[in-house]
Amino acid sequence: MTVDSLREYLAVLESHDDLQRVEESVSWNLEASAITMLANERDARVPLFERTEAARLVGDPYRGSGNRPWNRIALGLDLPADLSRFEFYEEVIDRLQDPIAPTAVAAADAPVKDQVLYGEDVDLLRFPWPYIHAGDGGRYSNLHTLVAPDPDSEWVDWSYHRAMIHDGETASVLLLAGEQTPNLYYYKYERRGEPMPVAIVVGAEPAVEYTSVMWIPTDRSEAEFAGGLKGEPIELVECETNDLRVPANAELVIEGEIVPDARRDEGPFGDYFGYMHGPRRSMPVLEVSAITHREDPIIPFCVEGSGVGYAENSTSSMEAGCVGPDATLGLRTAGFDVECCAPWTSTPRTVYVIATDRTEPGYLHELANFIFTTWGMLHVDFFVFVDADVEPTDSRAVVEALALHADPDADFHQFGVETMPKVPLNIYQTPSEKGDIQTGTSKAKTAKTYIDATRSSPAVDRPPELERRARETLREAGVSVALEDALLGDRPDREPTAGGWRR
Amino acid sequence: MNGPGIGLRDHLSRLRDRSDIVSIDDRVHWDEEAAAVASVAAREGGPAVIFEETPGRVRFVAGAFGGPDQLAAHDREPWDRIGDALTAGEDVDAVPSTHAYHDLLDLLAGRGTEPIPRSDAEPAATPDPTLDLHTLGLPTLSANARPLVSLGVLAVDLGPDAGTTWVPVRGDVRGSSRLRIILPRAFHDRLGRAQSATVDGTADAAATGVSVLLGVSAPVLLAALQGWIGDRVRTDTPELAAGLAPVAVSRVADRIVPRDAEVRIDGVLEPTADPEPAHRGDRRSATTTAVDAATAADEWRAAWEATCATATAVVRADRIATREDPIVAFAPLGAPLSDDTQLVSLLEAARLSRRVNGYWGVSPVRWVRLPPEGGLGICLVASEILYAGFEWQLANTLFSFSNLFDKVLIVDENSDPTDLAKALDDMWVKAHPANDWAFSEPHAPSATATRYRRDGETGSRLHIAATWDPRWDEEYIAPRVTFEQSFPENVRESVRERWDEFGLDRE
Repeated sequence: MTVDSLREYLAVLESHDDLQRVEESVSWNLEASAITMLANERDARVPLFERTEAARLVGDPYRGSGNRPWNRIALGLDLPADLSRFEFYEEVIDRLQDPIAPTAVAAADAPVKDQVLYGEDVDLLRFPWPYIHAGDGGRYSNLHTLVAPDPDSEWVDWSYHRAMIHDGETASVLLLAGEQTPNLYYYKYERRGEPMPVAIVVGAEPAVEYTSVMWIPTDRSEAEFAGGLKGEPIELVECETNDLRVPANAELVIEGEIVPDARRDEGPFGDYFGYMHGPRRSMPVLEVSAITHREDPIIPFCVEGSGVGYAENSTSSMEAGCVGPDATLGLRTAGFDVECCAPWTSTPRTVYVIATDRTEPGYLHELANFIFTTWGMLHVDFFVFVDADVEPTDSRAVVEALALHADPDADFHQFGVETMPKVPLNIYQTPSEKGDIQTGTSKAKTAKTYIDATRSSPAVDRPPELERRARETLREAGVSVALEDALLGDRPDREPTAGGWRR
Repeated sequence: MNGPGIGLRDHLSRLRDRSDIVSIDDRVHWDEEAAAVASVAAREGGPAVIFEETPGRVRFVAGAFGGPDQLAAHDREPWDRIGDALTAGEDVDAVPSTHAYHDLLDLLAGRGTEPIPRSDAEPAATPDPTLDLHTLGLPTLSANARPLVSLGVLAVDLGPDAGTTWVPVRGDVRGSSRLRIILPRAFHDRLGRAQSATVDGTADAAATGVSVLLGVSAPVLLAALQGWIGDRVRTDTPELAAGLAPVAVSRVADRIVPRDAEVRIDGVLEPTADPEPAHRGDRRSATTTAVDAATAADEWRAAWEATCATATAVVRADRIATREDPIVAFAPLGAPLSDDTQLVSLLEAARLSRRVNGYWGVSPVRWVRLPPEGGLGICLVASEILYAGFEWQLANTLFSFSNLFDKVLIVDENSDPTDLAKALDDMWVKAHPANDWAFSEPHAPSATATRYRRDGETGSRLHIAATWDPRWDEEYIAPRVTFEQSFPENVRESVRERWDEFGLDRE
């Protein structure tokens, strides 16, 4: 059974005892996020706040468990929550390689059109957008899909850019040059003096949400990849005030334009790396033309910054469960022999770990810098390369590799080379280094680095059969042994990558 | 600290109280199988494991001094079993199940001594003439390896001035009565001087009566390590042990032994004609002597061997004594998070903490950690940054005090030593990759815990300053996103008061 909407997904969570309906009155003003942060820290049930104003809120619905951050992502794809990391990644990779075209539905059949608000009826402030951290610049919608078209082709990008609500009709949208939609805005629409038509899809079905955080290649249909992930076509419906199509099962859609040559304040904000960062910046302005929504809509939000250390939130779990397999597939497609590419488990986006068999000189350099020129350009500062038998999601193993196998003399590359771009969402640059330039990237450059933590001599391994027997002995004694069997050489052979590096 | 003393059995009983130990009742062979099970248990952050059914005389316990990694959330800290071992004699209800890192560090850094109690009681282990070293059934690490002594202590009398000392040893069984042991070179040299002083250097002096003790308590193990590894040798290890926790002792021939030791191998120490070449644990001599190759055997050395130069000797066993149904603690050497690594991690952190805080006339350092997760190859230090450039000074002080690591991560003084994940996160998000990762010139001695440059070639060291730059204006300092900092007091109170009503916690 596919999961067709956020509501269905929440019902699945509830059936797994992973969701709790909070019937008490809870305010959007810091209270919902405070409860959600504690739930994240305690790995408690996902809170669905039934009694807020005009809509319901759900806090970090895609947050996974600490040792298996992909488990609820899996539920959203109608997969078992107990898949190993290897099984989950390979399943997602398989699905991404089998896109399914979307279908169109009439407005009358689209739940998101239950209520249609135009003109004077448009009022963002009717909805309980959460004020997430004390000190944030404002209230945010930060778990949604931004739909934006390329003005020169049929391509439509789905992406994930937070919006700070300013009043009933406007919001500022975090657009950082270097990513696809921001590039469309800054280097096409704004240069031509044209507004960029957009739709912000709030509470989309899981496959759409997941696709939004992935780096889907330019010119490819995001809706088709979402369909592939889901295993069925995504149903799309036309917007009311522009030509865009949006998922028909979404909870709420904000239609409008991001207008040229206008900026409004955005931030400060408690961000994904676990710190409040500032200063307040200027970002492009969304002018809202219509709002459509389901009856009694549910607005999902993420308590950014709470997905660090031992805790997970939607961002950190989607990074592990969506971006990781997507990046692994992307690197394999580019011809690199990559076993797995996964984020560092306790902080999203800044550092990724790549397991590979290929460690010859030049290869890692090429691999790292290939990524830095694509999806890793803005947020990722570090790649750590480990041997293919080191599980990238096992932080203990990666720390050991870093400490014991990465030689400061030979294995740390591009540190100190301050020539690469960076977004201001960081805390190591000063406000003057960040600047406040029109396209959102920092004024100062930074370094993009990689660390070769692969072994210089082969590991001393025990025979797989002995290892397997040992783990079985422990399990029979009641000891939880999480390390997956796939690490013992049971993994099926992958199809060879097309051509290989230096093809 | 005289008293009844605590032994390994008391400690294991405490671990049962904590539900932090499991019994393997299936028959597990000593030949590599037990070590494989122990390795997996350690790597997975599992409980201590007792092997109840083994083919030999002794049962084994692995992980008695181990603990889970700190990169995932666990109910227990890596050092809790050692904390439990040192408090096993106290009422369980009076001892928290989680031990404060600072308290343990203070205890170990203090290196306090207590007089050892009277030693007229008989050892708990009684001689068994039917036993030899093979029939003990000690575990092996691999199919072709010899039975292993991994958490052993050698007791030897150094003469009337120094008395008995306890020394850490690793060993393997060579035949039914010979045990080849690796021990600190400093002890080897000290023993040589004692022999010369005692009998004027005659040839007969070479044979020294010793006891190799297996299945000893944590204070005995820790004191042996405190005394003989690191930069300052101390021979008064029984008194050091008594300073850590109550230790009961007995006398065997001319030496004092822990009364509760599970197995005692009495015999004669036969020094080799010359000690083996300096291990790379002694980096200062590594440039002038041959060093070990990176062989499998080298991977399976005990963690303490990376801290000091070692020598080799042979114990000729004359007599083996055991307690009834003896149980021997062993460490799956070379495995992540093994007991020996955990013990050295704590001791070295305590030693470094004491030294850096006594170095500048002020005490800016809040804590030092050599996380076992990193195999002792990286050191974390939380410190006040006294002035611009202090990070460099601090890192290089640590490098000069310890030869184990070549990477130092400096985090802010308010960082939590129990949240290794967040401390490491700061390495990635707070340290500027262009400015705060500082590499030395490539002329530093190689580190001894790492797996590269094992030929002793010099190279760079790295320190990472994941701290706020003391030159920054206050407004640049980003507050951390936490429940305490991100919400006003009234919201926090309201949420905490109503938390149970929300029903979010699982059963």
